[in-house]
Amino acid sequence: MPIKWLLHWQPNAGTTVNTQIHTEITQCAESINGVKGGRWKATFSYYRPIQRVQTMVLPPECSRDLMGISLQEQPNKLYFVIRSQRIVLEADSMIQMIMDKLQSYRARGSVTFEGYQYQLGDFQLRVGKVIPNSQDNLRGIVLEVEYLPISSLDKSRQIMEEFLDVWQETVSKRSLPGHFMHIDPNFVEYGLSDHYTSQHTAIQYVVVMGQLLVAAKN
Amino acid sequence: MESSPTEAPPKQVAVAMDRLSNAARLIADIRIGADRILEALFIAAQPHPCNKPLHMLIKEESSMRQRFQDLRTLGKQLEDSGVLNSSLRSRSKSWGLHMPLVCPDGAVVAYAWKRQLAGQAGASAVDRTGRWVEVEKRHDLKAKITFCLRIWQVPDRLALKAFTDQKRRYFPDLGDEPSSEESGVSKKHRGDQSSVVVKRDDLSEVKTLSDVLVRLEKEAPNVRISTYQRLDWLKRASSLSSSNENLTEPNLNKLGTVLTGNMAKDQVAVVELLIPSVLRAVISLHPAGSINPDAVSFFSPDEGGSYMHARGFSVHNVYKHITEFAAKALQYFLSTEVDMGLYLLLRWICSYQTLFTKLCSKCNRLLSMDKTSTLLLPPVHRPFRYSSDTKTSSVQSTNTQSVDLTTAFHIVCSLDEA
Repeated sequence: MPIKWLLHWQPNAGTTVNTQIHTEITQCAESINGVKGGRWKATFSYYRPIQRVQTMVLPPECSRDLMGISLQEQPNKLYFVIRSQRIVLEADSMIQMIMDKLQSYRARGSVTFEGYQYQLGDFQLRVGKVIPNSQDNLRGIVLEVEYLPISSLDKSRQIMEEFLDVWQETVSKRSLPGHFMHIDPNFVEYGLSDHYTSQHTAIQYVVVMGQLLVAAKN
Repeated sequence: MESSPTEAPPKQVAVAMDRLSNAARLIADIRIGADRILEALFIAAQPHPCNKPLHMLIKEESSMRQRFQDLRTLGKQLEDSGVLNSSLRSRSKSWGLHMPLVCPDGAVVAYAWKRQLAGQAGASAVDRTGRWVEVEKRHDLKAKITFCLRIWQVPDRLALKAFTDQKRRYFPDLGDEPSSEESGVSKKHRGDQSSVVVKRDDLSEVKTLSDVLVRLEKEAPNVRISTYQRLDWLKRASSLSSSNENLTEPNLNKLGTVLTGNMAKDQVAVVELLIPSVLRAVISLHPAGSINPDAVSFFSPDEGGSYMHARGFSVHNVYKHITEFAAKALQYFLSTEVDMGLYLLLRWICSYQTLFTKLCSKCNRLLSMDKTSTLLLPPVHRPFRYSSDTKTSSVQSTNTQSVDLTTAFHIVCSLDEA
């Protein structure tokens, strides 16, 4: 499947993300001849183990950092990531029901990413706002950059980097208080190959969430 | 299909085998003779006049006549004994036995009808001789020579060995090389008077689809080339999907054959060139079984669908642009060298291995906004014209240029270079 790079907005120290910035970024996409398409959405959830008897310390076999991601391009699937152990798993979306029946893990909080997508020739951009489903003061802007023709991470690296250069240049012209950042997760540690899949996307979302949480704490 | 009733079937088989091997030898000799005639013509074309070519031609002419006569007689004998009738060709049990077989190493083996593999070679040898008889009836010398040069291919070890020996005799300055294939490759770098000889050698070495594919396998080892019959390609195209390449490849390998060597050689109508993770090119041959490309189209390696054929277009802009550019390249290759079109085209396609990595030779960037389509594209143009004064040196420079040294241009950057 086509390569995707997920970027997040890194606000300058002392500033926060707001709707104005989001609007400006959307206009950037349109300024490089992006054609506005439909809406897109991704959901991120934290999972906590359900304990019959509440204990202070979780038993070792329970995972503290189980995260679930659902992606629009795979409506019947749910992706689980345990970052600390570098595990990624693709499951059927029915697993939610199974987990409920087994009373094993429950989603304790979730975050939604949503926005519009833009087509730029063989590239697709998805600009999205981060919307927490609870009272967290979590805010952010994410950007998915997708290059449609090829699926090899290796072969597409140079093209993606050049595209980002073009993009960063366009954004910087608007003098916004912040910039987009791309973190390259080590997919090999998760056992993934050069051929891009939705599992790669799930891992990128987990990494970005980590960054957003850090930013929210500061 | 009646033969002398007094002869036992095995004897008939042995006699037929004998005649077939004689036919093979005669055809090899005719091939050598044709080569000598070409060599004489070449010498005659040189600026320094001498009588040698004339003598060669006279001598060759009479030997060729004799050989054709012998072959004619042999063909008649085979026909009379029923070897070349369609009843045999339809593989029905002849003389109560299966068809006589020729081993892959060229040795003629009677009674070896259990060898499945050799059976194909044997049947095709019979087929070839049958076709020779047809050609011979036309009394056309040019057709006969062309037939001999084309039909008896490299797998025929007798002919190859004889041919190689003769080549060593005639082109002693080119050294002692073990096989004609390798000698073609090593001769590339000679820039002296033998360059035209090199050209002829290269031409004769890519006369068939197998030759082209073998040559390309050596020059671009990480590129996968497969051949298909037209219907088989349609099946493959429809089942190619955006799922992992590794899953689809093994299942459909049966449909395609890498390096022809089977019976369906004359039905090959589609050549697929896959540069893993970069692109998939589909070339159509017309007529089927020839080495004449008539259309080419480029696609993503992950694309699939019945629209994927040599006249279809990819859904992605980058491949669409390459396809449009390739149409011009194809016309150029077909107009330069007779029968080299397919080889030059495939080699040019291999230069696209660096499609997503090679910077434009003019503006030194990978992505550039194309003015007309307002799209960001990598350098989709790879030059196919080679500036030269004479046809000879243009082929020479084509041969010496390796894929890595080619330049790449964006559409707008290449307008200035044209």
